[in-house]
Amino acid sequence: MAHGLALDHAAWSSPWRSRSVRDKGVLSLGLLVAAISLPAWPGGAAVAVAGLVLLLGPIRVGWARLGRIIWLPVVSILIGVATVAVSVSWDGGLRLQLTSEGIDTAGRLAVRALAATLAMFTLACSTPMIDLLSALRHARVPDALIEIAALIYRFSFGLLESAGAIHSAQEARLGYATRSAAMRSASMGVAALFLRSWDRARRLEAGLVGRGYEDALRTLEPPRQRSAGFVAASAALLVAIAAGAVAWQVLT
Amino acid sequence: MHIAEGFLPVAHCVAWYAVSAPFVIHGARKVIEQAKEHPESRLLLAAAGAFTFVLSSIKLPSVTGSSSHPNGTGLGAVLFRPPVMAFLSTIVLIFQALLLAHGGITTLGANVFSMGIAGPWIGYWCWVGSNKLGWHRNVGVFLALAFADLSTYLVTSVQLGLAFPDPVSGIAGSVAKFMGVFVISQVPLAIAEGILGVLVFRLLTDVARPELERLGVIKPSMSEAVAR
Repeated sequence: MAHGLALDHAAWSSPWRSRSVRDKGVLSLGLLVAAISLPAWPGGAAVAVAGLVLLLGPIRVGWARLGRIIWLPVVSILIGVATVAVSVSWDGGLRLQLTSEGIDTAGRLAVRALAATLAMFTLACSTPMIDLLSALRHARVPDALIEIAALIYRFSFGLLESAGAIHSAQEARLGYATRSAAMRSASMGVAALFLRSWDRARRLEAGLVGRGYEDALRTLEPPRQRSAGFVAASAALLVAIAAGAVAWQVLT
Repeated sequence: MHIAEGFLPVAHCVAWYAVSAPFVIHGARKVIEQAKEHPESRLLLAAAGAFTFVLSSIKLPSVTGSSSHPNGTGLGAVLFRPPVMAFLSTIVLIFQALLLAHGGITTLGANVFSMGIAGPWIGYWCWVGSNKLGWHRNVGVFLALAFADLSTYLVTSVQLGLAFPDPVSGIAGSVAKFMGVFVISQVPLAIAEGILGVLVFRLLTDVARPELERLGVIKPSMSEAVAR
């Protein structure tokens, strides 16, 4: 789970944490839309470069952390791209072959998926989940739904810690030494985790009801910095990428 | 394995969002109703969502020698019903995308349809069908979890096949190609998840019988019903 925690840690420690979610949303979602709607070359490639510069520059993710968080999506993209590149046919038995069309599609897909992943990271590495949920509350998403999402987020970290502790304890007792022992340990771990989550929820409910909990667990939100200049610069970057992609198409 | 960020063309992203939206809205309404009628259920639903999210961190041994993680929605569908799982799965998939870099925001609609709608409903129908046929509870649990897992990856293969038809053999060839990739890991994993589900369910009926009865998953035993 190291890469997962790395994403969350990056978000909490980002210098852009204090920026408003609206401002960051314009930039990140704009890059995301550009990544999937512009031609992979040069539009998608430009989005990938912009995402990389933002992550390593102002968002200050760092190469080491970026490597930890990006390896999983890169592996998923490579498996998918390889599958797209290879063509199958059944003329006289199963035949696998590489076609120029398949390779071309796979190449464009790899650039587009990597660009979109980096664009999504600009939001994920600069905005903690709690800030996103607060933004959704301001967007009038019903309280009950935000409440459940926020509780899932809060419960998840305690349960992840429990899952790790259970796994370590089982491993130390040779619980994963054989296939049958591993299956038994995994099932006991899942059941223990389920009961623990159930029990924590019940105890939390009892504690909160005693303190007057009725509808929502609202907390004070630190002031967020809204900047028209940031939004204008984001829009300018997106327009430049789109215009560059269109101009390239026209010229070539 | 979910469809990665940016993998689907724009038209497919929009279409899958449109297909999944009614199910998720219906599930969200059910959750709001449940939260109004039983405010205490909010915390239990959140615990269920967190449990589904954390399941992705638990490694299962696989027959091929590799290991993977359970899908988790089959068990959720049996315990909480599919509409609730459509909403909970959406939240879990958003968290997986933004916290684990697994899946994506542009492919959320497609992933919600495969993991949060198709998987839970097919798993739930297996559970209900098995109960109606009078089969042993363990068989129902096994089928629900195994088929929820398998159908999730079957639907994912179809989604990818529709997006990237094979230049030689078309959509059918592409779907077969993606299924071929998934089948290596998912068939053993689905069997492992089914067996794991049976063991978990047996443990739960031993130690959490009142909760399962309250959820309507199992009927109260005769002696307990008389005692009440």
